[in-house]
Amino acid sequence: MADLDKLYQAVLNGDAKAAAAVTRQAIDEGMDPLALVQGTMVPAMGEVGKRFEADEYFVPELLLSARAMKGSLELLRPLLAGRDAASAGRVAIGTVQGDLHDIGKNLVAAMLEGGGFEVIDLGTDVPPQKFVDAIQQKGAQIVALSALLTVTMASMTKTIEALTAAGVRDRVKVIVGGAPVTQQYADAIGADGYSENASSAVALARRLCGAP
Amino acid sequence: MPTTDATMPTTPSRQRVLATLAHREPDRVPIDVGSTGVTGIHVSCVAALRDHYGLEKRPVRIHEPYQMLGLVEEDLQQALGLDVQGVFGRKTMFGFPLGGWKPWRFNGLDVLVPGRFEVDEGPDGDTVIYPEGDRTAPPSGRMPKGFHFFDTIIRQEPLDDETLRLEDNLEEFEPLGEGDLDGIAEDVAAARATGRAVVASVGGTALGDIALVPAPFLKHPKGIRDITEWYMSLNSRRDFVHRLYARQTEIALGNLERVHRRVGDAVDVVFLCGTDFGTQTSSFCSVATFRGLWLPYYKQLCGWIHAHTSWKVFKHSCGSVERFFESFIDAGFDIANPVQCSARGMEPEHLKAKYGDRLVFWGGGVDTQKTLPFGTPAEVREEVLRRCEIFAPGGGFVFNAIHNIQAGTPVANLAAMFDAVGEFNGRR
Repeated sequence: MADLDKLYQAVLNGDAKAAAAVTRQAIDEGMDPLALVQGTMVPAMGEVGKRFEADEYFVPELLLSARAMKGSLELLRPLLAGRDAASAGRVAIGTVQGDLHDIGKNLVAAMLEGGGFEVIDLGTDVPPQKFVDAIQQKGAQIVALSALLTVTMASMTKTIEALTAAGVRDRVKVIVGGAPVTQQYADAIGADGYSENASSAVALARRLCGAP
Repeated sequence: MPTTDATMPTTPSRQRVLATLAHREPDRVPIDVGSTGVTGIHVSCVAALRDHYGLEKRPVRIHEPYQMLGLVEEDLQQALGLDVQGVFGRKTMFGFPLGGWKPWRFNGLDVLVPGRFEVDEGPDGDTVIYPEGDRTAPPSGRMPKGFHFFDTIIRQEPLDDETLRLEDNLEEFEPLGEGDLDGIAEDVAAARATGRAVVASVGGTALGDIALVPAPFLKHPKGIRDITEWYMSLNSRRDFVHRLYARQTEIALGNLERVHRRVGDAVDVVFLCGTDFGTQTSSFCSVATFRGLWLPYYKQLCGWIHAHTSWKVFKHSCGSVERFFESFIDAGFDIANPVQCSARGMEPEHLKAKYGDRLVFWGGGVDTQKTLPFGTPAEVREEVLRRCEIFAPGGGFVFNAIHNIQAGTPVANLAAMFDAVGEFNGRR
């Protein structure tokens, strides 16, 4: 029988090969994929987040764990299709228009996915309309905006304005982050939340979605 | 063979930099803007300053086309009262040399770019740029339409650990040839002739700088070139990274020796490494990882420099890096830059009290994420005066904004910054 503790450790230690092997075995044995995600992988990524907050894990460890988790999730995804309970919420994430930096955005996306969210990654240099489309066409409940440059922070404001103009601002929560971004800035532009790192972004998204 | 005369008379500018580097309080706080790729200023801001000070109207040269940094020429240096002169690397971030200047129109501004600066309009009106100016190679940088900086286009070939070769990640590190050394000697001689302190970036000495890993200067980079893959490799391929740093250090030591043989002590400061270890609130690795993976090589490089030259060693790292400062000192770094006081644990009073007699703070003068671009001139003045009050006593301080001055910074704020340093210096 698939050793779920081994899966937990594989995600925690960023061992993608071991994580995939246990996941395949669990699928072959007919284990409940939702239980695998919620009972093992989400808690493992939760521990990764805790270690990151405690300065025991850093960017390389976070990326390795995220890769291990994503590899397993890709194997499980076809089996999870149509099961709404599988998702803590749907997030459209992107680096705002004019900005091509994506390390921070990718870390937040990975941690959100590891936290049980369905993540629509719109990439970098994302025009406001693409966020509007993600809400209207894909039902995103949270919009997560990232910026590294002072000159592109204004694109966050423009994106929020575009959501308002399209009449979808009330349907979503907007969260922001990135090196020059602060809580004060988030408040000033009318965002619903700010997170200073990838791990606390998960807690923020859960709070805004009313997820446990 | 060009050589450099290190016995040229020492001017007040150089004198005050040397004093502050020796942790003696100079007659006034020395100022640097534009001597390196991390203490620079966006071309649009250089143009605005030239207008502000009523200097001759002419296109500004972009000496660093990745961050679009403008050259601070002699007339502006004098207007601003700068004390440091830069000697830049032989090639730009996109692999072509400086020189052969030609006009280019950049966001409505007439500028000059190096002759082999080759760009095209990409999808969505972006600007893409070609490595070594070679249009037959895939572009290596992209600037979104209407924005202000290039960023690297990642060109990662499929990676296979079985066939991953050290040489692939060493392509850009090679012994300097006679032509390069001639160029460096000429540039150092010209820099010394200005009478300012000389900061030289000779290249090839940065270990794992994430801006350099994707190699936007190479036509067809091989090895580990993806940023995410590189960060993971610090853990998952640590032996490979060790071997890479060891070989790179060996090549760099040879180059430092060659450069020193040519320019001697005409250089005052050498820019060694811009690898960022800090984020806004934390770091990219633990102190233990730093001491295991970087410190041995930094010690070799700094050790050679201190044993054979009078050069001071300049280390750049953004972010929250106070936790590394004891290790920086152990490594032999003399100068910390940019001293990002807004990052966690980087309170200026604390840094000055704890490390002020062992590290020179080159930066920390004003916040470029908030105060300088978005504050009022009065707020800029207040912050600059306060930072000078904290960092200047006893020397060990070169005034510089925290990292490059970004596009969009109001010229009134830049003038307020220079006025405030002048005001502080006038008090003494």
